[in-house]
Amino acid sequence: MTVYGIIMLCTFFMCLLFNPASELPVVTFFGRIMVFTLIALLSLAVYYSKEELTVKTWWMRTVLHLLLLEAVLLPLAHSWGFWHSGTDILIYAGFILLAKVLWHLVDYGLNAKIAAQINERIRKNRLEKRTGKD
Amino acid sequence: MRVTVERIEPKDEEELIVRCYDPGAAWVSSVKEAASGHRTICGWREDMLRRLKLSEVFYFEVVDDRSFVYTQAEVFEAKEKLYEFERLCMGSPLFRCSKSMILNAEKIDYVRPSLSGRFEAVLSNGEKVVVSRKYVADLKRMLGV
Repeated sequence: MTVYGIIMLCTFFMCLLFNPASELPVVTFFGRIMVFTLIALLSLAVYYSKEELTVKTWWMRTVLHLLLLEAVLLPLAHSWGFWHSGTDILIYAGFILLAKVLWHLVDYGLNAKIAAQINERIRKNRLEKRTGKD
Repeated sequence: MRVTVERIEPKDEEELIVRCYDPGAAWVSSVKEAASGHRTICGWREDMLRRLKLSEVFYFEVVDDRSFVYTQAEVFEAKEKLYEFERLCMGSPLFRCSKSMILNAEKIDYVRPSLSGRFEAVLSNGEKVVVSRKYVADLKRMLGV
């Protein structure tokens, strides 16, 4: 859902920036975003590993993932008329990068919330144990 | 609270069932800790065999098909495989935290998120270990979050 939302936002801003007068039928708009989302999710397979990833290997795969996204999404977006000239491609590539960074930040934020819940529970348990023992 | 103790035959397996409103309550953790304290595993260190209580284990780790048991300040080699450790730890505060590790939730000081989508658990002895997102739900369930 996060990926879908981010791609939808990016597509909206791309249209607003390059072709504000464009009109996309609802089905086409949502259909294309679904294809983008599917590609984005399938490409996450680059993170698959039998061993636990180290920080270094995680960064390497993150860069690889970004390159893969750019390599697949840019030609597809071009065929759908989302970008036309040399400047457009740079901005569109920037949007893909931005979407990926945003996705990691949203993920980090959600994890920070979970970590806060866990820490609060650990703190409570520790306090209960301490007061129970006193 | 009602406490029921039932005598069983020596052939039957000893079992402790806790019926509670909150599985993450501190007293439930204490009961788990006490129960697991009676379970032991054998660890080798410098040709010496030592029997370790589960309650003193910080984490188990498998590296290159070799199993290690980490306590407060010592590391022991063990013969058990990860799934055998996992079976031994059932019902205790130890849980699978990554593909190659089983961690004692009672030894976690705090957790923090990392950019890689995983969590880093800082233990009471200052050590840091990785908790995969896949297994963080088990930790939450165990703590009653």
